[in-house]
Amino acid sequence: MSEGIIVQQLGKRFAQHHPERPSTIMEAALSGWRRLKPVQHFWALRDVSFTVAPGQMLGIIGRNGAGKSTLLRLIGGVGRPDEGRVKLKGRIGALLDLGAGLNADLTGRENVFVCGVVAGLTRREVARCFDSIVKFAELAQFIDNPVRTYSTGMQMRLAFAVAVHTQPHVLLVDEFLSVGDLSFQSKCLERIDQLKAQGCAIVYISHSVEQVQELCDQVLWLRKGQVVAYGEPEVVVGQYLAEMRSETQQRTPIRPPQLTKTGVELRVHENRFGSLEAEITGVQLLPASEICSGDELSIEIEYLSPQLIYAPNFGVSISREDGEVCFDASISAKELSLSSIQGQGKITLCLDRLDLSGGHYFVDVGIYEKQWEYAYDYHWHTYPLSIDSVTQKNGLLCPPHRWETSKVHLSMLERL
Amino acid sequence: MKAFKLQLTQGNLAQRFDILRELVDRDMKLLYKRSTLGIAWTLINPLLQLVVFAFVFQVVLPTSISRYASFTFTGLLVWNWFQSSLYQATGVIIGNRSLIRQPGFPIAILPVVVTTTGFIHFLLALPVLIIFLLIDGIELKPVILLLPILQALQFMLSVSLAYVLAALNVTFRDTQHTLGVVLTLLFYVTPIFYDIKHLPANYQSFYNLNPMVHIVSAYRAILLEGTVPNWEPLIIIAIVMMVCLPIGLQFFRRQSDRFVEEL
Repeated sequence: MSEGIIVQQLGKRFAQHHPERPSTIMEAALSGWRRLKPVQHFWALRDVSFTVAPGQMLGIIGRNGAGKSTLLRLIGGVGRPDEGRVKLKGRIGALLDLGAGLNADLTGRENVFVCGVVAGLTRREVARCFDSIVKFAELAQFIDNPVRTYSTGMQMRLAFAVAVHTQPHVLLVDEFLSVGDLSFQSKCLERIDQLKAQGCAIVYISHSVEQVQELCDQVLWLRKGQVVAYGEPEVVVGQYLAEMRSETQQRTPIRPPQLTKTGVELRVHENRFGSLEAEITGVQLLPASEICSGDELSIEIEYLSPQLIYAPNFGVSISREDGEVCFDASISAKELSLSSIQGQGKITLCLDRLDLSGGHYFVDVGIYEKQWEYAYDYHWHTYPLSIDSVTQKNGLLCPPHRWETSKVHLSMLERL
Repeated sequence: MKAFKLQLTQGNLAQRFDILRELVDRDMKLLYKRSTLGIAWTLINPLLQLVVFAFVFQVVLPTSISRYASFTFTGLLVWNWFQSSLYQATGVIIGNRSLIRQPGFPIAILPVVVTTTGFIHFLLALPVLIIFLLIDGIELKPVILLLPILQALQFMLSVSLAYVLAALNVTFRDTQHTLGVVLTLLFYVTPIFYDIKHLPANYQSFYNLNPMVHIVSAYRAILLEGTVPNWEPLIIIAIVMMVCLPIGLQFFRRQSDRFVEEL
């Protein structure tokens, strides 16, 4: 039986070489074998300790370059730590480089065997669970076609199916569950639950803090290779988000109050936050900012981006005056097939019906950096929305509803 | 490192063998799929070389080597195995990033895979060599049963050198190109298509430093002459390799760890 993962004071040092370090024998000989030694070292990870018990899932969050992937590799025994150690027993399943282990010229079937054996199974074990792998990957029709004819999604399904069928005692997942279509995602999550129930210890890296909060039993937050916080998901994720917000505040430049097209005053640090690298120049609620419960509502956001910004995220939320968020939606510009934004533009969120109960609300809108690290511009409690409802004043929701009555016959009850 | 030790203590040899088998199988399949002639190239290549040497040394500059086809073909097969193993193995760390990054994957198996693939090609060409021997009227003696010992020794030599070369290629990415030139040179200073007996005596001591000289001579002894090979140099090679193999392996592991850490 597995004992989970124990990581003690783990540290990893990387060497930085001279930019003109010779990379060929010829150059090295010409430069007299100089510049081969590293110029300086830096710690990519330092003093990282944690434990993942069997059946537990640890989420790792942090910015790009915080050392998350390095940590995951060290746990998997790829590369060696300069300090501390990793203790674990049993087979390691890994979803690190998605689909990288597949060979394009071989068929799906051949790849299953190669990947399965490379992941630590014997040929016989692969043969035994072959059908189950193919079924899980939903590739029965294509299994004898070369993998180069597969779509990215199909390759990913195949890689995932093999990895979860190795009966791992430890599973390492790097930003995997956030890709792929929804039905397959939920299937993967189901499978991960099964593995957890069987006592598999899981380490999961993700940029999606919501997902980490939802799935993980513990969360570790890394910044520049060091642990900032480690513990209950709610607590760590809360701290992380708070820092992200303060990062946004720090980046918010000082600027005199400004009026939007619709005449709303924007005051920096009061109802407006962000680096203002891209700005929201106007927000319109259509048909009006006073609607009835169940009406449709469109939220038009006009933006202006003086410079080219790659794949920003747009977010809209509707919150009550007390700050409770009732609705939250976001989209990446990539999903809108805008790979980047520059100049003026408009994006509209259409709600077919808004079944909130009557009251006063605010529509908060924002444009965010592509990894959600900070906001470019975020307008908070700036655009009021009031909703009328004849039937209901209490509660949050007011979906269409009706009451029905029916008589129960005494004779039927007796028969039961 | 850690994962290797864990797996070894579990006595997972069968699984290691399966990895070897699958990866060799993969290499063979890829070779087969990427060209129409596929595995036939294993034979066509040395046969063409043989035609060239036979033309030069039988017609243009006749030599006194008897049974020239058998003599040269033996040398060519042995040499081609050695050369292809080293050449392919040099790129083995760089070309298999995804395998090296797989937790628990025994990286040290990669040069073994390449050498085994070469060995299979050697075995596939062996029947053709036997036909040459029979045509040349050579009687196969029971001493041919020593063949596996020679093959094992050559295997060990190739793998030891492969570890060092693959590791070197991580730091110096032109190792493979340089090796190509060095191997061509070595090919000419190994008696493949000529007989070492024809060399002046003062060159012979220099030749004796090349392990492939002894290995090629040993193959010829058991195949062509039907005599027991000269054991002395072979035993020395075996001892030297037993020392070099662990050192090469260590160097290889350190460099592949370094390679994974880049990026």
